[in-house]
Amino acid sequence: MKSRVFVNAAATIGHQPVFGVTGFVNELKPLQSGDELIQPSYRDYIDPMSLRRMSKILRMSLTSAKEALRQAAVEIPSGIIVGTGLGCLVETEKFLTNFLTLEGLIPPTAFILSTHNTIAGQISLSLNCHNYNITHTQNTVSFEIALVDGIMKLEEGEDNLLVGAADEHIPFLDRVASEWGYAGLRLTSGTSFFVLSSMSSSHTKAEIIDVEVIVNKVEHLDSSITRFLDRLGLKADDLDVVLESGWKGGSPADTKKQGFIEYSGFYPTASAFAFHYAVDYLQTVDGAKYVLVVNDLNPNNLGLVLLKSVEI
Amino acid sequence: MEGAVYVTGMGIVSAIGNGVDQNLYALLHKQSGIVDAKLGEKTVKVGRVPLSNEQIVAALGLGHQPISRTALLGMMAAREAWGANEHRSNLRTGFISATSVGGMDRTEVFYEDFLTETPADFAVLIYHDSGRSSEDIAQYLGINGWINTISTACSSGANAIMIGARMIQSGRLDRVLVGGTDALTRFTIHGFDSLMIYDRNWTRPFDNTRAGLNLGEGAAYLLLESAKSLEVTGSNPVGYVTGWGNSADAFHQTASSPEGKGAVLAMKQAMRRVSPSAISYINAHGTGTPNNDASESEALLTVFEGRVPPFSSTKAYTGHTLAAAGAIEAVFSLLAIREKTIWPNLNFSEAISKTALVPVIEPQKQEVTAVLSNSFGFGGNNSSLVFSPF
Amino acid sequence: MASNTLKEELKKHIIEQLNLEEVRVEDIEDDAPLFGEGGVGLDSIDALELIVLLEKYYQLNVTNPEEGKQVFYSIETMADYIEKHKS
Repeated sequence: MKSRVFVNAAATIGHQPVFGVTGFVNELKPLQSGDELIQPSYRDYIDPMSLRRMSKILRMSLTSAKEALRQAAVEIPSGIIVGTGLGCLVETEKFLTNFLTLEGLIPPTAFILSTHNTIAGQISLSLNCHNYNITHTQNTVSFEIALVDGIMKLEEGEDNLLVGAADEHIPFLDRVASEWGYAGLRLTSGTSFFVLSSMSSSHTKAEIIDVEVIVNKVEHLDSSITRFLDRLGLKADDLDVVLESGWKGGSPADTKKQGFIEYSGFYPTASAFAFHYAVDYLQTVDGAKYVLVVNDLNPNNLGLVLLKSVEI
Repeated sequence: MEGAVYVTGMGIVSAIGNGVDQNLYALLHKQSGIVDAKLGEKTVKVGRVPLSNEQIVAALGLGHQPISRTALLGMMAAREAWGANEHRSNLRTGFISATSVGGMDRTEVFYEDFLTETPADFAVLIYHDSGRSSEDIAQYLGINGWINTISTACSSGANAIMIGARMIQSGRLDRVLVGGTDALTRFTIHGFDSLMIYDRNWTRPFDNTRAGLNLGEGAAYLLLESAKSLEVTGSNPVGYVTGWGNSADAFHQTASSPEGKGAVLAMKQAMRRVSPSAISYINAHGTGTPNNDASESEALLTVFEGRVPPFSSTKAYTGHTLAAAGAIEAVFSLLAIREKTIWPNLNFSEAISKTALVPVIEPQKQEVTAVLSNSFGFGGNNSSLVFSPF
Repeated sequence: MASNTLKEELKKHIIEQLNLEEVRVEDIEDDAPLFGEGGVGLDSIDALELIVLLEKYYQLNVTNPEEGKQVFYSIETMADYIEKHKS
């Protein structure tokens, strides 16, 4: 990377009580079956005439984004970069149902709100932000790709990039999971937004050292991780924690490894939750230096992010 | 040239042809690919690729697989753009593709069965995910590593090209296949129809009486290479990607601001290294909707200070191909450079009263020094690209 | 003058179709402009939804958004339009 990359804000809305909270890593408990989505009072962030037209994923995204910008004391970001695995499912399902079943004219709103880029678009509309605006969709590594895009922007001389990820659950997904042989998988929703800057400040929570994305992966997971660390002059011993999707199950090889799906639940961009967890860990645990996020939620694709603590 | 982004390959499949040669022929002979199609009880005008999925599967040598049409179209075009290139361990190669529908062509068939309690195959839903279509296309060409899917509606294809160029300039990739693909779906046809911007007649971009768009389907890719890659492959460049710009209109969820603010920003950014007078031709977004064409006209007048170069929309040939549009029109822009010919705006009779801009209406042979290509999207995402001759 | 029941019914449909969560029937005045600032604050997407609403509940077809501007000016104008075209 040709620029240093600091994380100056982190905001997540999901099934864990982490929105607006710093130092949640020690309090976090694995998701129980009753743990529903925890939604803040959206009216505190979004005016009613805009809110009425926003589906779940939009409300969550815009609110997380606004909270992140508030934390970093940024009014207008230089870019809005969003990663989403499945996009706006509530509205997609609604429009599909509408045109397949309705006689006569079809209401247009669900169609407008069904496109993936509505998330980034709605954020730009709310902020009146005319800058770089993009939506990446590469299933489980959508967030890591969004990060790389944000980092490139920093290298190109921009600053204060709003980078985030969003995915929402609909009941139909449970049916699909069951049909595909994954009944019992805890499917959830989550949005996480961050502000990236090339300069550290009093807002800085952590630093990104490197990000790697490998799609249509051919190498073994362990080889990929070793190569990634080698390139940075690091070894597994240097890491304090390795957050791994835990998808394959089984017990971790060593005490540093920790799953994150048991906390976030399963959604395509859950690694953004892990990233937030890593940021929070580095910010609050004394002496912590490096956290590696290993995203192999989809065995075909791999996302690796190495984060480092910052001296305050 | 330091940081130059070379275009060394092109591939395309659209309503006007399978492959670059067929598309070029149609452009030169003013042959539109817009036809009638049935949508339930209604008839709509669409730019359909006149190949069935079975024909495409056979042409690609795939065997019988229920892959999304979006991926199939993409494979055709990507294969052409990749051409005879080989995989090399010393060249980091990526694939960046845009799509707005992804596997929706499969999903909507599934969902109809599902809703009517007809036995439905849940397995097809693996293709719904937009990213999956890109992975399938990349897999077909043996590309792995950096595979990225952009979904910003109508500007997606241009954004894919832009991001590919940036990845080369940042030193992350040596070469990259970039573009987009979208199949026709009932979802999108009904969608644009519900917004009352789907013209029941053949679309009339930039015409005073225009009444909306016709949707199209297709795919197109460019192969971009760095100088280092060029030394290894020895490819012959068609041209350069000289500039790019992206901005958000931030005016409304579906309409562009009357003055085209986002469009002006995108065009100015793309033209940072090129003076307005060096632009020989503009391939406009020109969807034929009352809003876009008015707003884009205002934006063109602003950027070019009243002296707008020859321009046209080619969407009366192909239809609006959504995420593929920016890529299909990139190919048309590069063909303009290669053939020293600029393409006409079909179905035009009367200029928009307020802006009075008249597009090119016959293929025109002339020197082409640089081409500006616009792709302005739904949700206010605006992108522009500038291509130059090699 | 259109009936009060029709006007009240219209307001209920609009609140539901346009998802005006914060708004009650009593909050919408009969002659208040539905569109733009200072009125109920609807926009062009809502205009399309109103066209769908008219067709769904009253079997009336406003065929273009321009005609719509006059019909959808206020609850009063909408109700008058419906009454006029009912038979």
